Amino acid sequence: MGYDFELTNETSLVHPVHHQAGDTLAINGQSIRAALTPGLATAEYFLDIDGERERVFIATRADTHYIHWRGRAYRVDAINALERARRAAEPSGGAEILSAPMPGTVVEVVALEGSTVETGALLLTIESMKLQTKITAPHPARVAEVYVLAGATFDQGAPFIRLEAIDDDVMEAAQATPNTRNGADSP
Amino acid sequence: MSAIKGIRKVLIANRGEISVRIAATLRRLGIASAAVVHAEDAESPAARAVDETCLIDGETPVAAYLDAAQIIAAAQRIGADALHPGYGFLAENADFAASVEAAGLIWIGPGPEAIRLMGDKIESRRFVADLGHPLTPSANEEDDPETFAVRAAEIGFPLLIKASAGGGGKGMQIVRSAEALAPAIELARSEAERYFADGRIYAERYVMEPRHIEVQILADAHGNVVHLGERDCSIQRRFQKLIEESPAPSMSDTLRNEICDQAVGIARAANYKNAGTVEFVLAPDGNFYFLEMNTRLQVEHPVTEMVTGLDLVESQIRIAAGEPLPFSQDEIRFKGSAIECRLCAEDPDQDFRPAIGELLFVRPPKGPGIRFDGGIAQGQHITTAFDPMLAKIIAHGATRNEAIERARRALSETVILGCTTNCAYLEQILAHPEFKEGRVETGFILANAESLSTPPLDDRDRRALLAAAALSDRDFLERAGSVPEPAAFMGAWQN
Repeated sequence: MGYDFELTNETSLVHPVHHQAGDTLAINGQSIRAALTPGLATAEYFLDIDGERERVFIATRADTHYIHWRGRAYRVDAINALERARRAAEPSGGAEILSAPMPGTVVEVVALEGSTVETGALLLTIESMKLQTKITAPHPARVAEVYVLAGATFDQGAPFIRLEAIDDDVMEAAQATPNTRNGADSP
Repeated sequence: MSAIKGIRKVLIANRGEISVRIAATLRRLGIASAAVVHAEDAESPAARAVDETCLIDGETPVAAYLDAAQIIAAAQRIGADALHPGYGFLAENADFAASVEAAGLIWIGPGPEAIRLMGDKIESRRFVADLGHPLTPSANEEDDPETFAVRAAEIGFPLLIKASAGGGGKGMQIVRSAEALAPAIELARSEAERYFADGRIYAERYVMEPRHIEVQILADAHGNVVHLGERDCSIQRRFQKLIEESPAPSMSDTLRNEICDQAVGIARAANYKNAGTVEFVLAPDGNFYFLEMNTRLQVEHPVTEMVTGLDLVESQIRIAAGEPLPFSQDEIRFKGSAIECRLCAEDPDQDFRPAIGELLFVRPPKGPGIRFDGGIAQGQHITTAFDPMLAKIIAHGATRNEAIERARRALSETVILGCTTNCAYLEQILAHPEFKEGRVETGFILANAESLSTPPLDDRDRRALLAAAALSDRDFLERAGSVPEPAAFMGAWQN
């Protein structure tokens, strides 16, 4: 069984291969001999590949490997079984996740879980690069889940809110009930 | 034992690399150091660099460092004699400087009057124009708000709309046509109000292919004013400096002397005291225009320190203590060339968008002529709460070429893992043929956007990175290790 690794938005399949002459890897079916030996310094390793040895620095957090190679830092993500399953499941029917267009800070969360919102309703306000941006509902929807609190910082692509589409009848019915625009801030 | 009379303890009202930098000089001078620290910075190198910390809080971390009353109360509580504001935050706030002095503390910087006069862009332009120095044609909104748009258009396009209280490129717009003028004025005014709580704006002619040249000034309380040479800060993105160097490349000694003398004249006329920087715009035809004065220590002061061998923070403290400058203009020696690169948590391939993450590993560069001014540590979380600048890498060499090569090597040896930075991008700029030839102007980054974009990964590098990742991935290694040899080929196990 192989493992998927993602580097610069490209996914490659890496297999472990066992040989009498020593361990090798197969990357996208192409076999290579490579070995990684820890150095004396923190995060320091020596990578033997294609008959050459080069120093690399590697730090790993969960499934992400940060690698300094030839004067430049890279990020390689191991796509584990869970992540693969999640990706396969997308897009889930009727639900939609509003996510961060860029890294920043949550200024205010207005949306309440379980509430219904109209098109254009303010859901939350974020601040990125010192500019405030309002995240609004793209269509009438039910707020299924809110993932962030005011004051939280987030990276690009981080999920904010999961919306479930609703039809107009539900919307009209919902408008008869008190609105939910205030008081959703974190303490 | 303090080496300076009257100053035994200094409170640093800042954070990050500049607090570490100031604390180093205080330690060398035998002065006790203290810093205000927001909880988010409690474990930061800045907090560890000082003898004493005072916790401050606010609605946001930035608000805490802007809370004048809280900071002055902290200074009094710990018995500080003086306060160093660093740069940014309250460093150019005249009211804060006045409150610090009113509280009986020594303000390490120019007095509140000088900040009021030179720190305000409209005021300082008026002052400098009255001295007879050249300025770019401009129009102030407050002279007559009704006719501002008309007067601005008369300057000619392209022009710049700027905030009077501005800085750091905020509230600044380039306007290239008459149609774009009205919306740009609106936007500049609203940004000026939001960032500086001061909506005053003005328009000035945009000099094409300008260079940003600034002059470091030191002035004492005894009427002595000297310059420490110029810096070229033309490599900018979003009107913010990225690379600074001294001396400025491809500049004649005649022009250099003219600019430096004019800066000294302006500082003298303003009755300026302490360290300051006079900024100019230099046009390709050799004409130069006063831009503004920064009434504080600059981010890029290390390049001047490396070519002059002086410690500007020490000079600031001695001047604040009333000591006369220990040297005359003729005694200042300039040696070699120095370049500073601002290492920022941002993604140059995504329009310099700020990046966040946890610093999993930090390895500063070393080597001859290399200085690393940083306020970062392993385990630190980089958020968007503060400015994205993480550290400064400064290289000194006997020649500009040597400084460039040393800086390039230092950048390629700097390792920061866990957060995207512009480190490799800075190296690409230094390696650029036009930069090496000294052909710099403030539009350099935009004009060379294509040749400065990250080169695509070649197959060999891609394979090496994937191999390194796989061989350090625990799941991968566990599976690889547990599989009996023949089975690996047969695909006997599945999940």
